[in-house]
Parts: sequence; C-alpha cells; structure tokens
Amino acid sequence: MNFPAELKYSKSHEWVKMIDDTTALVGITDFAQSELGDLVFINLPAEGDAVTKEESFCDVESVKAVSDVMSPVTGTVAEVNSELEDEPQKLNEAPYEAWIAKISDISDFEELLDAAAYEAFIQK
Amino acid sequence: MSELKRTQLYDVHVAAGATMVDFGGWEMPIQYPTGIVAEHLWCRSQCGIFDVSHMGRLDIEGPENVKFLQHVLSSNVLALDINQAQYALIPNETGGVIDDVYLYRFEESKYFLVINAGNIDKDLAHLYKEAEKFDVKITDVSRDYAAIAVQGPKSKDILMVMSGGAPLTVENAKNSLNTLTMDGKNVRIAKTGYTGEPIGYELYCDSADAVYFWNRLVELGAKPVALGARDTLRMEAALPLYGHEMGECQLGGEIQAYASPLAKFAVSFNPDKGDFVGRAPLLKQFEALKKILNRDYSSIGDLPYRIQPICLLGKGVLRAGFPIYDARNGEELGYVTSGTMIPYFETEGTGIESVITERSAKRSIGLAYMKSHVVTEFEIEVDIRGKRVPAVVTACHMRQDAPPYTRPILYKKTTVEGPSQVTDYAAKVKELFIKAGENHVWRQQQCINLIPSEMTPSKATRLLQISDPCGRYAEHKKQKAFDDADIPYYQGTKFIVACEELLAAEMRKFLGAAQVEPRCVSGQMSNTAVFSALMDWKNRVDRKRQPQRLGWIMNNHIVRGGHLSAQPMGALHDYVAVDPVTEKQMVVNFPVLPENPYKIDVEATKVLLDQYKPEFIVFGKSMVLHKEPVAEIRKFVDEQGISTTIMYDMAHVLGLVGDYFQKPFEEGAEIVTGSTHKTFFGPQRGVIGVSYKPEDLKWSLWETMQTRTFPGSVSNHHLGTLLAELVSAYEMNAFKDEYQKAVTENAKWLAKCLAEEGMDVAGDPAVGYTETHQVIVKVGYAKGPEVAERLERNNIIVNYQATPEEEGFTASGALRMGVNEMTRFGFGKEEFKKLAHLIAECVKGVEVKDEVAKFRSGYTEMRYCFSDADTEAALQGLTGVLGI
Repeated sequence: MNFPAELKYSKSHEWVKMIDDTTALVGITDFAQSELGDLVFINLPAEGDAVTKEESFCDVESVKAVSDVMSPVTGTVAEVNSELEDEPQKLNEAPYEAWIAKISDISDFEELLDAAAYEAFIQK
Repeated sequence: MSELKRTQLYDVHVAAGATMVDFGGWEMPIQYPTGIVAEHLWCRSQCGIFDVSHMGRLDIEGPENVKFLQHVLSSNVLALDINQAQYALIPNETGGVIDDVYLYRFEESKYFLVINAGNIDKDLAHLYKEAEKFDVKITDVSRDYAAIAVQGPKSKDILMVMSGGAPLTVENAKNSLNTLTMDGKNVRIAKTGYTGEPIGYELYCDSADAVYFWNRLVELGAKPVALGARDTLRMEAALPLYGHEMGECQLGGEIQAYASPLAKFAVSFNPDKGDFVGRAPLLKQFEALKKILNRDYSSIGDLPYRIQPICLLGKGVLRAGFPIYDARNGEELGYVTSGTMIPYFETEGTGIESVITERSAKRSIGLAYMKSHVVTEFEIEVDIRGKRVPAVVTACHMRQDAPPYTRPILYKKTTVEGPSQVTDYAAKVKELFIKAGENHVWRQQQCINLIPSEMTPSKATRLLQISDPCGRYAEHKKQKAFDDADIPYYQGTKFIVACEELLAAEMRKFLGAAQVEPRCVSGQMSNTAVFSALMDWKNRVDRKRQPQRLGWIMNNHIVRGGHLSAQPMGALHDYVAVDPVTEKQMVVNFPVLPENPYKIDVEATKVLLDQYKPEFIVFGKSMVLHKEPVAEIRKFVDEQGISTTIMYDMAHVLGLVGDYFQKPFEEGAEIVTGSTHKTFFGPQRGVIGVSYKPEDLKWSLWETMQTRTFPGSVSNHHLGTLLAELVSAYEMNAFKDEYQKAVTENAKWLAKCLAEEGMDVAGDPAVGYTETHQVIVKVGYAKGPEVAERLERNNIIVNYQATPEEEGFTASGALRMGVNEMTRFGFGKEEFKKLAHLIAECVKGVEVKDEVAKFRSGYTEMRYCFSDADTEAALQGLTGVLGI
C-alpha cells in the first residue's frame, strides 16, 4: 500500500493535498479504497457547498454498500472532479490522482497525520 | 456466538487472499483480491468457480420417498426422469416459502435435495416432522460432499479436459445430470447454476477431493468467484434469493410464493401429485396470477404484490429496502428486494454479428416487490436516501438464449416503427430494379452457392413461373356426391387443372407413391397439413368431445439435425399433446450413435419404441449426412405390433429419392413430405406423397390430408409455381439417374478434399463422411457465424450450423454445405477440389473473393435440363409470347 509523503491524512481515511494556505485537494486513501472494494458510484458534493471538518461531504458506493466520506477540513467546495461520476473505479485504481473536491477558504482542519503516522495508525 | 462453520475449501480461500465474512453461520469468502466487478466479468466471459459446499445436501430414500417429496415440495417429482434435476419450493401451510431448493435424481430410487445454507436447521425440522407420516429416510450428507459450481462460457471446455473428452451430462441440456469419472475421481455433475449462464455446471465430489478439483480448475483457466459476485450474477439473471425475494416481507408478514416469477416453473397442480403442503393457498395465488397477467385485477387481493426486475434511470445505486413510488401519482408501490451496481461488457454491432468488446460499463439494476398491477415499462421512482430517482420496470436484465454468452438487455423504451416515408415512388421502383439486378448477377455469376436447401431452377422452370396462371386461382375439392370427382370453384382453369393432374402423376412416379397431394406451397405447410390430418383422423370416431392431440411422437432432436417443421416449437406446435404425468410435450427423440451423432442408433431406438409405443414416427432432418433407418424401424414396429404411422420428411433429400439414396415407400414409410427446391429441381413448393390404397384403413387419413391441404392450409395454391413444378418434375424424371449419381459422388468428394485440406469433416469416414448432398465441417465452438460471414464476403455462400454437441444456433461451430446447386452448374471433381482449397484458405483468413468470382463466372450453364436446339427454340417462342 502506498502513502505519499507530501500528503496529510485524516483518521477517517481521507488525504489532503495543500495547494496554498487555504486551498486543498481532498480524496480517499489507498487503505480506504482497498477496504471499500470496487467503487461503482460517487455522490459528489456541489460546487459552493460549505463543508465542515469531521462531517460527511460526499458518499461512495461499492457493489455491496454505501460509505460516507468525511471532510478533513472546514471550507467551501470550489471544484469537484466530475470525471469520477463516469469512472468511479479511478478511486480504486489511482486513489491519489482521483481527487474528489478542491476546497477553498479553509478555516479549520481536523488533526491530520503525516504519512508515517497514518501508516502506523492503520496498522493498529 | 457459536463458532463459524468452514467448508472443505476454507484454507484455499484464505490462501488466495479472500476477504472472509460470516454468511449464515459460515465463514465464507465475500471477494477475492481482484474484486467483485472483475469476478463478475470473468464469469460472464470466461469461467468462474464458486465454493457452494456450505449449502445443505440431503439424501431422500425409502419406499415412500416420492410420495414424501410430492407432499413437501411444490414440484411434480414424477416428472423427474433419472439424470434430471428440477427447481422446487418447500411451501408452508399459508402459501409462503420455507426455502427454495433443487432436487436431483442421480439414482433410480434415491433423490438428492440441495437446500440453502442459512435455512438448514429450519428446513430439517420441517422435513423431519413431515417425514413422520411416510416410510422415508432423510440423511444429511452435507459433509460427505463438497460442491463446486463451474459457470461461464468456457466451463464446458474446461470440464471436458477433466472428463477426457467424455460428454459431461447425459443430455446437453439444462438440468441434465451425470455421474462420471474426472481425473480418476468420482463426481456427480449437473448442468445447473445460479448465475444465469447458459453454460454452467455444478460438481459434487467427495470432500477429500474438493481441494484437488478446485486447484485443477484454476490450473485449467477458471477463476474463483466469491459470494459478492455470486449475488450480482444472480441479480443480473433476476434469480430470487431466500431472505430477499422469499421469506419475510419488509411490509410485514411473508412474501407469497407466487410473488416470485420462478414459482410458475416450481409449482405443479398435477392431479397425480395430489394434495401437498400449501396446495390450497398456492392454487389461490395461481388463479389470481393468471387473471393479473391478463390485466384482470378482480382477484388481486389474493396476490397483491409481485417481484419484477427494475432498472434505475437516474443517478445512484439501487439498494435492498428502498421504497418505490408510482412516477405519475406518487402512490407507494413497494420496495427494492435486491439491487446494486452491476457490470457488463459493452457490445458493438447488431444481431448475430454483434461483438462483445472488452470494455465494461455498469448499470444499477435490481428486483422489486411491487403492487401486482405494475407491469413492464411502468415508470417508477425509487427513494434513494430521501431523493426520488426515476426508474422503470423491465422484462429482464439479460438473456441467456444466445449461448455461449449471456447478453445484457439495457433498458430502452420499446419503439414501434412507423409507416414508410417514401413519396417519389417512380424513383424507388428504378432503384429496386438496379438493386435486384445487382443481386441477381452477384448470386448467379459471382457467388458459389453451397446452401444445401437452395437450388437455381432451370430457365424453363423460371419462365413458366411467371406465365399467366401465376395470377389465377384454381381452388378445387373432391366431392363424394360426384363420385369423388374434383370440382373446381372458378372458370378459366381447365389448363391448370390438367397440369396439376400431370404433376401429381409425375410425382407419383418420382416418389414411388400411391397418391400425391401437390398443392402445398412449402415443405413446412406439407408437414402442417399432415399433422393436422393425423390429429383429425385420430378423433374421427368421436367428434363430440375436445379433440385429442398426438402423442407420443418420435422425431429427430433439433440439435441433432431435426428441422423446425417437425418440432413442437415449429409445425408440431398445435398438434402435440402434453403428458399428464410429466407435464412435458409428448415427444421422444431418436437416440444417436455415440461415435457418430449424425446417425440414428437403431438398437437404442428399438428400446424406446417398446417403452413409448409412439403413435407417430417422423424421420428426416435438415442437417443430414446419412440414410434414415426406415426399413429397420418398419420391420421392428410390425414385428412388435406397435400401431404407428411412419412419415419421412424428405425436405432436403427429395431430389435424391432413388437408387443412390433411399426409396422411402419401398422401405416402409407411409407418408413422405418434402420441399421441391432443395435437391429437387423445382420452384419453391411442397409435396405430400402417401402409400395408401383405397382398401386401406388409412385411406381416410389420405382423404383428410387433402382436405387439410385445401381448405385446411392453402386456398390459392400459387399456380405459376405449380406449372413450373411440372416442368421440373419432367426434368427430374428424365435426368435423375445421372444427377443423383453426380450429387452423391460430389458430396463425398468435397468432404474428402476438405479433410485433405486439414478441415474437420463430420460424419462417418467409412462411407465417405456423407451419403447425401450435404457436407458438415467443424470450425470451432461458436465460431460458425463468424466464419460463414467471412466466406460470404469472399463470395462463398454457406450456412453456419450447430452440431449435436452445441447448445443452439448462436453457439454454432460448424458450416453446412450442399453440392446440389453447383453440381447442376457443372461442378465435378476438379472444381470441387479447387473449391475445397479456396474454402480452406478463406477459413484461414486469406482473401479469395476475386478468385471465387472469376472461377464461378465460368459455370453459368445449367445441366440436367433440356438444352437441345429444339427446346431452346420453343423456349424462345414462349419468351416472345410472355412479352419479355
């Protein structure tokens, strides 16, 4: 399993890639996609939605079940990766390229882990 | 919580990296590392193997085992022959379902019942309690056997490696069974499954052999499929799952048995079955269902809900439990019983030429429990976590009737084509002339036609077809009052009436028949008239009750070459009875030789004749390489005193009647039917000949055949082609000796040349592969349509053909060819040798189109017809008179 060092990770298995101080891309981790299995549908947030840290902002569905994706930050959805609507399998194939949303005006973060700490966290 | 149970294959699943879950008390794989989507698609395109050893397996034996099974199951156990399986329900007293099961009969007196893993305790408690009333022994043998389902288009090939090439099941049909040795180990095999695959098997092996077979199957190319994909596969096939489509209902109470569309196959109210657990409420549901299907909702209260497939049209994923509403008025209709996102392979092209690509897509489909008035195409809305998403009720999600692959049916609104938009008809007429001319030149000068059921008629035959009687009527009927004189109904028909008499006389001579009815305009119509006459004649002494249909009838199975025109799905449809005990149509097929499936096994046929005493025996087929054993069977039925009628449908081989093939009436056939345009020279018509004489019992059957022809089947009997058939009968009687000799020799020669080119030629090599005009060449399982299309692109016209080992025309692995037409155009040994080479090259992928066209253009002169100067001059005269 792969956890790029330049990303930050939440305990609810999302990754965060900072673009500048108040803007970031958000997706789900390699560990999350592996646990969820084949993803067949994503219910993306709408651009302009306000999101709050540790609250659901999106859901993904595998063949077997629906799972919420939690927002690791508080801010506003600036852009969504609408390619995922047609190809949700990208979340499985390349989880760190398959960003879900770009969040801007970030005002708060949940407590994020670095790659090593996240890897240790999921080993538990 | 008690410890989870494990199957014989548990360690193999764990070693393969499967995710294990608790499934009804069993620790089972939900998916392997490749994931549910890949597993689903692998099964649909290749071969998936499933560990189904967790399911319960019971032996039911003892003197009253059939009585017991009739009592506790919904099905008619008496309908189950040895080596057959059937789907059944275990109903409860209130019309619900305790479980759905599969009943197998591998042995004469012992039945094998497979039940759902999660229901074992409940089922056993019910069965043991009911068994107290019977002299029956139920043994739980679940742990003695492991069960592996092997499903998908490659499953047969893979398993046949293990069987050493031996046929897997007794019949190559769904629900057929066998007990055989694979890799030296005993297995029971069933052509059954829970994936909807048209080709799929279930293996029952000793527990000790489970791991061996699993690994061996993987080594041969199968891949493991776990419960996740098992669920998506069955959902796509719209197969019910206990706990979803049966059992407890989310709206309260239980789901009625007849809510599931499979109930109508699983439940029998046969009088021989008698009363059984749940019969009364099931009958009430069935009566309501029959009305509902006629859109009569007066008894809808007896079956208020039914389960049907649904397809999501908007975004999202269907999930079990979601409520469903009527899209028009918001009325709550029911709920989703099963649903998810299911993958499928995209196809390109249409019809038989459509190609399954390697690209996959997904769709959200499922099954839903909805009010019974909801029908296909009904627009609904599904409540997906508070959002109403449009969906639609569909007839099915996929079809399995084009083996070896399943075909997804993607929802699209059924459209009906509107009327023509043509305004400039003069232009359309000219366009048609040009296209018809191009087609004529292509087929007559550039193509080598090897379709065995086709013939180009001579110039004389073609010209007479369009002479005046082609627009006339000449209905006539024998009238007893006039001493059986034929009474015509129209004036102006004396010429054609005289020609019809001449034609009958020529056909009597050609066939060696006592009587001939020439009015049928096709071979299939000839058969229909005969079947209708036989049924009418059967009922002639008692006209006051409902006429009885025919049964038993012995014929050639369609996959072994039998033609539609003598099958229940074809011309026998309205004349064959249903057996009250087995509830199946009363048709029994000729057994074939194990080493040559193109030839009837006479000794095995005799056993069946004694067993069934068929009232009607129909020889003849459309994939025909060998003579039919008419004489042997006639001798046997006469010796045994079996009262029957023997017919030989000679559609394909009518033109071969004689010394070089068979003389049907001399061999003991009573009725011969045929079409006059395959090996016979004629235009496209049919004929009936009989051996009956006025003093015979069946003379009145012959009289009935004439009335079932006219007015029974045809009123205007196409007088242009009738006249043309007269000249072709003259040609046939004049040239048949040399023509028949050439055709039968050429067929053997073409077969030999194709074999020398390395092609796999069917039939008995000891007799030169074929004794008819046909040659069958195997080109690989399901490759037939593609190869036939390639040959057509190269101007060689053949037809693809399923061999006796294949499941149907879409799985065709052979080409059927006939030498009759090209023999008439002058092909002999040299030409057929060259043709064999061109065919072999083309099958290998070499382009031979121009070479074929050049070759063919040298053979446009028709043989075996009158071409002397006097005849030519007379024909010119006729051409002038006709104004062409």
